[in-house]
Amino acid sequence: MNNSSLPPKYIQMLKRYDFSFFGTMIVIFIIGILNLYSATHATSDKALSELYKTQIIWFFISLSVGMIVSFIRPKTLFRYSYVFYAVNLLLLALVLLIGVKGLGARRWLDFGIARLQPSEMMKIGIVLVLSRWYSKFDPEQEVNLKEMIIPGIMTLIPALLIVVEPDLGTGLILMLVFFTITFYRRLQWKTIVILCLLGVVTGSVMYKFGFKEYQRQRVITFMDPWGDAQGYGYNAIQSEIAIGSGQIFGKGFKKSSQASLSYLPENHTDFAFSVFNEEHGLFGSLVLITIYIILIMRFIWLATSVSNFYDSILAMGLMSIFFWHTFFNMSMVTGLLPIVGIPLPLVSYGGSSLLTFSVCCGLATSVSNSKNLF
Amino acid sequence: MFDQETLIKLHRPRANLIANVILFMFSLILARLWYLQVYRGKQLLNYSLQNRLRREEIEAPRGMFFDRNGVLIVDNVPRFDAVIIPQYLQHKKETIKKLSEVLEIPDEMIYKTLSKKSNLASYKPVIIKKNISRKEVAVIETQNDELPGVAVDTCVSREYIDREVGGHLLGYISEISSTQLPKYRNRDNIDYKLGDFIGQAGLEEQLDLYIRGQNGYEFVEVDATGRRKFRPQSMSDGGGEDDLFREIKDRPAVPGPNVTLTIDRDMQLSAYNALKGKEGAVIAVDVNTGEILAMVSLPSFDPSLFSKGFTSTYWRSLTRDPRRPLRDRVIQEHYSPGSTFKPLVALAGLEENAVDEKTEISCTGQFPLGRKVFHCWKKHGHGPVDTYRSIRESCDIFYYRLGKRLDIDTIAHYVRALGLGRKTGVGLPHEVGGLIPDREWKKKRSGEEWMLGDTISCVIGQSYVLVTPLQLAMAYSVIANGGKLFRPYVVKKIFYNSGEVVKSYSPELISEVKLHPKALAVVREGLRQVVNEPKGTAYSYGHGKGLGIAGKTGTAQVIKMSAEKLFSKCEEAEYKFRHHALFVGYAPYDEPKIAVAVVIEHGCHGASAGVPIVVDVVSTYMKKYFPELHKKYLQQEKAKGILMKAPPPKNIIQEEEDTEVEEDASYEEGPVGAAAATGQRNNNVANGSVGNSGSSGNSSSNISKTGAGQGGLGKKMTIGSRIGTGIGNEGVGRWQGSGADSGPDGPESKIEEQGDDE
Repeated sequence: MNNSSLPPKYIQMLKRYDFSFFGTMIVIFIIGILNLYSATHATSDKALSELYKTQIIWFFISLSVGMIVSFIRPKTLFRYSYVFYAVNLLLLALVLLIGVKGLGARRWLDFGIARLQPSEMMKIGIVLVLSRWYSKFDPEQEVNLKEMIIPGIMTLIPALLIVVEPDLGTGLILMLVFFTITFYRRLQWKTIVILCLLGVVTGSVMYKFGFKEYQRQRVITFMDPWGDAQGYGYNAIQSEIAIGSGQIFGKGFKKSSQASLSYLPENHTDFAFSVFNEEHGLFGSLVLITIYIILIMRFIWLATSVSNFYDSILAMGLMSIFFWHTFFNMSMVTGLLPIVGIPLPLVSYGGSSLLTFSVCCGLATSVSNSKNLF
Repeated sequence: MFDQETLIKLHRPRANLIANVILFMFSLILARLWYLQVYRGKQLLNYSLQNRLRREEIEAPRGMFFDRNGVLIVDNVPRFDAVIIPQYLQHKKETIKKLSEVLEIPDEMIYKTLSKKSNLASYKPVIIKKNISRKEVAVIETQNDELPGVAVDTCVSREYIDREVGGHLLGYISEISSTQLPKYRNRDNIDYKLGDFIGQAGLEEQLDLYIRGQNGYEFVEVDATGRRKFRPQSMSDGGGEDDLFREIKDRPAVPGPNVTLTIDRDMQLSAYNALKGKEGAVIAVDVNTGEILAMVSLPSFDPSLFSKGFTSTYWRSLTRDPRRPLRDRVIQEHYSPGSTFKPLVALAGLEENAVDEKTEISCTGQFPLGRKVFHCWKKHGHGPVDTYRSIRESCDIFYYRLGKRLDIDTIAHYVRALGLGRKTGVGLPHEVGGLIPDREWKKKRSGEEWMLGDTISCVIGQSYVLVTPLQLAMAYSVIANGGKLFRPYVVKKIFYNSGEVVKSYSPELISEVKLHPKALAVVREGLRQVVNEPKGTAYSYGHGKGLGIAGKTGTAQVIKMSAEKLFSKCEEAEYKFRHHALFVGYAPYDEPKIAVAVVIEHGCHGASAGVPIVVDVVSTYMKKYFPELHKKYLQQEKAKGILMKAPPPKNIIQEEEDTEVEEDASYEEGPVGAAAATGQRNNNVANGSVGNSGSSGNSSSNISKTGAGQGGLGKKMTIGSRIGTGIGNEGVGRWQGSGADSGPDGPESKIEEQGDDE
């Protein structure tokens, strides 16, 4: 045996290592960082035009953390699911008490060297805890309304804590992740129909009679001051103009006028996709969306190919985090849904969100690697 | 249990369903993208090229200021700026040339301004000239075909009715600087933008968050040359391509609430006019409430210029002016109180039983201590001096003796109880706290022990003792109202035009100082005599006006002087070496209403420079608010035959003048060391040390009668005899005698601080 080479155990591990998640992630990130540079390079605000450097640093930190996470065995994840969830819940409560305020919302915990958003980590926490819960109790049965109550409460508590921060978007994501996982865990069709009817009825009653137009608007603005800080409708319209003006092939890299003339607010965070569309058009979006679909399908495929039920739900949960972020952000900037601040995975600027998605990929890689053990 | 593989197979249909739903949802997004980018692509591209829709901020008008009687002091007026919107600028050369003719500014300046702002988005207007005249507005508006890309911006600017009168008090507003931006965003949790105006000094700064109102915005459409078009009403009905903007709503600006001040505009004007041409401060307060009636600092600045066509040259001229016109001398400047400090020391002496009204010493004009000789301002001495006379004629030797009897800590305790040595909490930004030294302070500051010589310098208001004019006025208010220390305030209420009151302020008693009525009576009588008895230092300038002023003159040395220089004429010295002149007093002496403190930098004599200003301010006040009382005093004085008609002859001034002397005969002339008389040039030192002394002062709750005075006495006697001056011995003898006389039935120590400052 050659001493200088790696022990066979590690070579085995490396051979087994699934690079598909991190590979796709890096591709999307490269697109994102170019887009961020393009969106911010024209501004005279030094703090803004240097953002892409910060983002690159954050990316390497996130990638490293994700890689480390990928070496944690799913069994260990299973064991510590509740602990991780509980710690996150504590941090969320702490944010409300001693969190750092920024432009009206209290979302961060200051750790001296960096600020962290516990609500981001909670997305993963909720997936872990729900996976464990649903994998344990009577998996052959379909889930009915009664059995939804406990996991429902487990999601609702952090979701409410996040909504009062206020951060409507993240709270919404948590609820959607919960429903996706529950649906996958064979929620009775009967229950689904009941829930849908209930949702439609309460929703329309509230919409028609409960609120007046300006009140509805005010609720959204209050819940998410970033979402519509500039005045109702203005952001949405400028975003639509930006997207539409890109036409089929776009105006070209660094050529977006909407973004560089700063008509488009927050063009490096929530509206990154608008800038991308303005510069690369429908064709560019088709490519980007395809890459997202590949990554998402990779998660679903993983969920159906593993041999452990906990792993399966975990993979599906991680997928739902990716999907709902992508879908909501894209719908929001294209005017399909009202504007609530939800970032586009790996493209929007933001360290905490990068870290979340990288950890998601790390967890999926871990699951993927371990399935080959048997 | 169950087979996991089968279980997962059981769930596969759900996974497939999820995958299909996801694909469907992405196809929705793609469909929407197709709709925007292909179906409406051309139209939206056109929009992006013109971007006709612009969101414009509407500045909320700030609250207006009124004086105590509802007279408008600060108003809002429209202002017009000529701007260029680079996006729409055509035929650059001709347009700029034409514009430079209209505005009468060189075209290089326009180019320079444009290139400076070239990094801004091109649709953002660049201000070429602020505050253009209505004629210029008319020319630009009518000739807009020849001036593509040039427009007139309307905004609100602040108008300070009396210009530089009370400029420091009112403060000014100016654009937020890039260094302030992140700091203020954090502090106020308001999303400030560059170009926003914020209060930068005085009340404008202090009340900024109250009076700034809430900015609104409106969405305007602009035509191809950048001029705004009015949004046609039909737009809101929808239809056609304009449908896009249908949902957009404007938000009107909410004006800030108005402010009523405690200031009286007439008094403000009379204080300003009296002080005009000099450097100094005038402060008048209501002794029974702490309301500030007039507050003027000179040299001043015109706050209007900051928000209206303000040029950087004006700013530079202000910051580079060696007289520092931006500093509010009423609350932001430290002065040595000079002789105005003596009545406070006398009060401490009376309370501590160290003197009473019968105490008499002999002033020979000299006071030896160790190798030093301290002088009285009157070269050959006053002769016999009692407590009344010590105040009336401002005898230094009396206070040197008293200082020896009282420990510095005791003096510090009493004067601090009168509000000195700490911020008054007036509710204006950047107030300084002054300095009242004690043993602990000196030890902390220099590591040296307190020396008797230090006390001697401090009792006549020199050396380390530093005050602000406002503190002096408040301390004298306490004497005037019989022991109530109020927090001075300038804002009466903040209210909306609708009448809704946002906040109202009322008198706030900081502490009630228990002063012995007898002690108080002696000091008050002394202060009365200063102005109303022929030998008083302020008699020639202050009596016979029907105002009943009581007060004390003071002269603060700017530099240390040799004995020879000491008695030379102040007016002959170089301007910057001349003494500061002070006068602090209240009126009328029988039933005090108002206290006034005046400092005139390099004014030489408290009486000639300070008293006339106080007379002006007090007479404005009395005539306006207490005409009956004024008449009564006039008649009284007429009866006594002391009504003054002509100004006093010049030659008597010098004799009646007081000059504090703290000197070392062997020392050369030079700046007074340590913190000290030049402290006002030296605020950092003083500020740093104030904190220390303040805290130590508050912690020592109740100073009992100290024996340090006696110990000092003994020590001095030995020194005195060694030097063999003899005078000292004689003085000491008298002191001991009188002290023993007054001992048994003298007033008890009664000062207690009831409240506490934070």
